[in-house]
Amino acid sequence: MSTQPTPNEANPFAAVEQSLSALLDASTTVTGVASAGAVRSTLFVAIHEDEVTEPRSAVAQISAATATFEKTMTIEDEAALIRLAEKAGLPVAEVLAVSAAAPEIDAPVLVCAAVDGETIPRRVLRMIDGHAGSGEALARECGRALALLHSIDPTDVPARVERLDAANPALAYADSLNDWLEQLPSPRPALRFGINWLRTHAPTPPPQTALIHADFRNGNLIVGPPSGSGTTGWLRAVVDWEVAHVGDPMEDLAYLCLRTWRFGSDAPVGGFGPLAALRDSYESHGGVWRQDAFDWWTIARTAWWGLGLAGQADAFVRGDSSSIVHAASGRRVVELEYDMLNLIGDHHGF
Amino acid sequence: MIDEPNAEQLLTAMAQTLADTVVPACTGAPQHAARVVANLCRILARESAAGAHHQEATVADLQALLGSSVADLPALIAQLDASLADGDGVPDEQTFRTLHANAARRLDIAKPGYA
Repeated sequence: MSTQPTPNEANPFAAVEQSLSALLDASTTVTGVASAGAVRSTLFVAIHEDEVTEPRSAVAQISAATATFEKTMTIEDEAALIRLAEKAGLPVAEVLAVSAAAPEIDAPVLVCAAVDGETIPRRVLRMIDGHAGSGEALARECGRALALLHSIDPTDVPARVERLDAANPALAYADSLNDWLEQLPSPRPALRFGINWLRTHAPTPPPQTALIHADFRNGNLIVGPPSGSGTTGWLRAVVDWEVAHVGDPMEDLAYLCLRTWRFGSDAPVGGFGPLAALRDSYESHGGVWRQDAFDWWTIARTAWWGLGLAGQADAFVRGDSSSIVHAASGRRVVELEYDMLNLIGDHHGF
Repeated sequence: MIDEPNAEQLLTAMAQTLADTVVPACTGAPQHAARVVANLCRILARESAAGAHHQEATVADLQALLGSSVADLPALIAQLDASLADGDGVPDEQTFRTLHANAARRLDIAKPGYA
């Protein structure tokens, strides 16, 4: 019942390796630790399918069996969404195995094929800087990927996955932000100003809601140069599907363009590409661009991350977290407040 | 007697030591933590030097906006927040300008060059 391997001086990953070997029906060894958290650990593994071929590289995500966050989807639903996205034509890391209670460790496990490439945002930006035209190409590939994702029939999405109110997902979202704001122990008038604005300026509802990734940004994209002499294929995989849900498709496009995910670069799309390339590609692959909703979701998701950072700081102040990163988040809230105010000011000509 | 180095000088030196000595000697999570702490030291150095001045300016702005003579910044912030909670949600330009100026001052400490 633990995400951590059973202590074993000879091999601390013995239990996990036994579990993965049983799950994959092939001898599996842990080759490295990508991250080890209280809620989820991510391990690099090698799957030895036979004695002749090279072992297959994969990534295993092992969740805490006791993790019960209200809006966190089950690992089986996450795997189902990745497979839906793959079927729709998105580049994803192929799901190799999934279990809600893997043998030996009795914990949720998701094993996906390893995808070579870069995910660390500033390294992605350096890579793009070194290849003329690659930023626009990557923005176009993001537009295509999102159009394909949003074309998935929402009735194919597992029933337990969260669905925002189809009649007006924006208002439902603004109300959820307001509920979150009310839970913060200290007043945040800038965020309240922004959330008031969101509640009184909701955009036109989408013609229909769609499956959205909701964390589609520089950092959750595996990026690398195209193979051979091609100029497309920078986007190798879209990862981290755990907050995907059914909502307004423009949320994904706006989120990709938040200033906070540009990592100091001026390029509007993820810090790497022009907005026109994203929009043109999205529309040419069947997506419907709604500018008022794009603007609204840009402000909404900026406010959301401001609340998220404030929540991390609050957890530190309360003593629920000793993380220095969470402590530092308290001094980052103002970045999001400033971005959000500028977006509202631009809208009104203030 | 005033002891030296003062807080700003010490915090700047702490940040420099972390960046020059500790960060290069670490990898992975410890290196990231050292970078975060170094950045926090720089923030606190700037706050030590300019924080009181910025707070005075924000108190004056909030007093003007709210028509208040209260000098306590947390009380003024709570008063503004309460008035926004009771308002009609229509954005008011003077409130916007007060919040924007406050954010710019806080960024001057937390992340110079961002605003």
